[in-house]
Amino acid sequence: MSTAVLGSAEATTHGHGHDDAHHDLPWFRKYLFSTDHKVIAKQFLVSSLFFLFIGGAFALFIRWQIAYPGKPVPVIGSIMPDTWVTEAGSGVITPEFYAQLLTMHGTIMIFFVIIPFAVGMFGNFCIPLMIGTDDMAMPRLNMWSFWLVPPAGMIMMSAFFVEGGYAAAGWTSYPPLSAVIQSPTFTLSGQTLWLISLFLVGFSSIMGAVNYVTTVLNKRAKGMKLFDMPLTVWALFITAVIITLGTPVLAAAFAMLFMDNFLHTSFFLPDHLVTSSKYFGGGQPVLWQHLFWFYSHPAVYIMILPLMGIASDVLATFSRKPIYGYKAMVFAIAGIAFLGFIVWGHHMFQSGMNPLLGTTFMLSTIVIAVPSSIKVFNWLGTLWRGNIKFSTAMLNALAFVSMFIIGGLSGVFMASAPVDIYIHDTYFIVAHIHYVLFGGSLFGIFAGIYYWYPKMFGKMLNESWGRKHFYWTFITFNLTFFPMHVLGVAGHMRRIYDPNVYDFLKGLGGINEFITIAAIALGFSQLILVFNVLWSLKWGKKAPRNPWRANTLEWAAPAHPGHGNFDRDITVYRGPYEFSVEGRDLDYWPQWEPGKSISVHHHTVAVSDASEESSSVSNH
Amino acid sequence: MSEVLRVLDMLAWFPENISTFGGELDALFNIIYYISVAIFFLTFGILIYFLIKYRFNPNRKGYNYHGNNIVEITWTILPTILFAAIGVYSDDIWEETKYSSRVPKPDVEILVLGKTYGWYFLYPGADGKFGRNAFTDRSARALMSATNPFGIDSSDAASADDFTTENQFRVPVNANIVMRGSSIDVLHSFFLPNMRVKQDVVPGTWMNIWYNAFKTGKFELACAELCGGGHYAMRAEYQVVSASDYDAWLDQKNGEVKAAREASVPPADTAAAAVASLR
Repeated sequence: MSTAVLGSAEATTHGHGHDDAHHDLPWFRKYLFSTDHKVIAKQFLVSSLFFLFIGGAFALFIRWQIAYPGKPVPVIGSIMPDTWVTEAGSGVITPEFYAQLLTMHGTIMIFFVIIPFAVGMFGNFCIPLMIGTDDMAMPRLNMWSFWLVPPAGMIMMSAFFVEGGYAAAGWTSYPPLSAVIQSPTFTLSGQTLWLISLFLVGFSSIMGAVNYVTTVLNKRAKGMKLFDMPLTVWALFITAVIITLGTPVLAAAFAMLFMDNFLHTSFFLPDHLVTSSKYFGGGQPVLWQHLFWFYSHPAVYIMILPLMGIASDVLATFSRKPIYGYKAMVFAIAGIAFLGFIVWGHHMFQSGMNPLLGTTFMLSTIVIAVPSSIKVFNWLGTLWRGNIKFSTAMLNALAFVSMFIIGGLSGVFMASAPVDIYIHDTYFIVAHIHYVLFGGSLFGIFAGIYYWYPKMFGKMLNESWGRKHFYWTFITFNLTFFPMHVLGVAGHMRRIYDPNVYDFLKGLGGINEFITIAAIALGFSQLILVFNVLWSLKWGKKAPRNPWRANTLEWAAPAHPGHGNFDRDITVYRGPYEFSVEGRDLDYWPQWEPGKSISVHHHTVAVSDASEESSSVSNH
Repeated sequence: MSEVLRVLDMLAWFPENISTFGGELDALFNIIYYISVAIFFLTFGILIYFLIKYRFNPNRKGYNYHGNNIVEITWTILPTILFAAIGVYSDDIWEETKYSSRVPKPDVEILVLGKTYGWYFLYPGADGKFGRNAFTDRSARALMSATNPFGIDSSDAASADDFTTENQFRVPVNANIVMRGSSIDVLHSFFLPNMRVKQDVVPGTWMNIWYNAFKTGKFELACAELCGGGHYAMRAEYQVVSASDYDAWLDQKNGEVKAAREASVPPADTAAAAVASLR
């Protein structure tokens, strides 16, 4: 990208500015227990990347078993722990370990990768910078919101050492399976560790979220109205509201299930179970599903809304165009957030919930497709008559939009309750969730990483490696997950250890093998990203202050901002997406630059009567 | 190559449908499929066209335009109408297949129980009605055990001829089959792929499951809800047979039950198997 227009002298002066105004902190306060929102964001980046590979490794084990049931895992099969395999050294996964794998894959990817990436990392990094303030409203709380995650992760992984291994009831952990235990009271099992761990993660989410809400409402730069905020901030703000409303419900459910496991209460265990456990009676298994999905459906939007915001910003910047229908986008996000709270029952169409509720949840679920399509149309409208530059960030944002279209369309199938009868709990659902959470969220996350890496680390990510990473990921992603729709239509249940048990699934071995090969390629493609992130840290091109020539406030900060962020007073003069304004030479008009404009039939036209401020305009 | 093309033709992969309402469900799937394919090509067509047409050109500027309310309203209302139509149309089929008030008068009534990892079926036997058991009388749930999963009260005369099968069942063709499903331990899901039937079975409650098969043959029952390590193997077979074959089978079963009773062996002939297979 051209940087000729930027004040490069300025960029070097502040290039490594750990702001001198803040007296020197000991190293562990700077890098470990830092209250700087940018450091916390980087910590979330590191932990999420780490867990991305753990969760991905679990997925590859699953894929291997389902494509080659009964065959030893290649390369590392012989060194796998005895509890994982049918017999020592055989390398063949047991059905019990398979259930642990699918549980841990889902749990880690959702609670330790996507949510921390989307909310923890981007929330922390973007909100203060994009609203032009020095830090979060409550920096110490913010620090704690990160520092609950590593212990939570360790508790989750420590289940390796307890009898029975990791939790094995699926990431949804439906009781009675997750609560019927033979072990005596006060035993730490994989399931109890799972619950403790996610309880901590939930606390981390709540701490982060109240901070985001407070910060957005109270710390916006001078002149910044709510409708001057970039869509990323809007999305994160609304996401934070969802978290504060939903997560406590999940925490309550976790507490109950924990008591069922640890203290042998029976919130979720009905009477007269035929089992060797003697602790049950009087509970209601479906109650868990209601409580769980009351949070976990909104959680789907927690995982996608921030990335919708990020994709919007990236699309606008690289199309050199204002967002089409900015306010409609904000209302669509708010609409999705609101509807997200009244659709949880669509996960439970076949659960035995009253079918009358099935009708109402089906209608509310189908309605949620409307704000989603509004967003897609507005993204297309944003590209229309743009001047589109295919940077890596842009490619990933475009992948986000297109994969979200597919994921959204496949969602209509299961939103229709009668169609869901057949495809419920099949690979069709697996395909859908991965199109939304991988094709959607993860490409959005990649877009965000490529877009903000320069501001995070003061270096540009390598575009050539970035492209390689993108193309490999995009192609292998589709090869992996698209055929899963076909498996689902053929009736292939999810979470099964060996499809060959069933005659009606016998013809699907070829597709399963194909998916597994693609999945392995997909997994290894992610090493390119890690390589790029590490390589660019050391050898990357030095980033200028505003490498993408974007409008939002974070680009007013020094190239590598220190604690305190900005080296100038920030006043906001206009909305975030004034690209290609008539009457200006530059095709962008940052929010912090003074200047007057008028709006003519949805076009912005610059008016040149800002005589005394013109000197500061030319500075940037 | 033909394999690859077949993957793209998603609808070709459905297992054969044998149930009366299965056709409606598949048709609804097809409708949504064709709508989705149309929307897919429309949006991707526009997307790709824009990406090519408006690709970077240093001599051109983007177009500063903030959107248009009429356009926004249009593309709010059109999808609303489309999706609402899908919803309303779906609801008819949903009510038909799942509402308890729409469950037809049973020609055959069977109880089904899921357990880790297998299925039990209870037939009402020669008298055509169930005796006192965990379904007909809630208090009989106290009798449920590994050897008597249905909680059958053997002191009730009507129970004497009720018989159990394990991991297989038979139903007559062209008849309304109503099954009442539950579980004795964890959640399971009663999934008949060919019948387009799926219903979670929950311990403590009984679910209505009904269908009407129009074709005879041997088919599979799968568990579709994770229920532990052996979940994948929780398979059962069922046969849809002609009415006369079904009656003959019932007569044979009833004869077996009667013979067993006269030999004063415990009435549930699968009791021994049940003990062995339960954990």
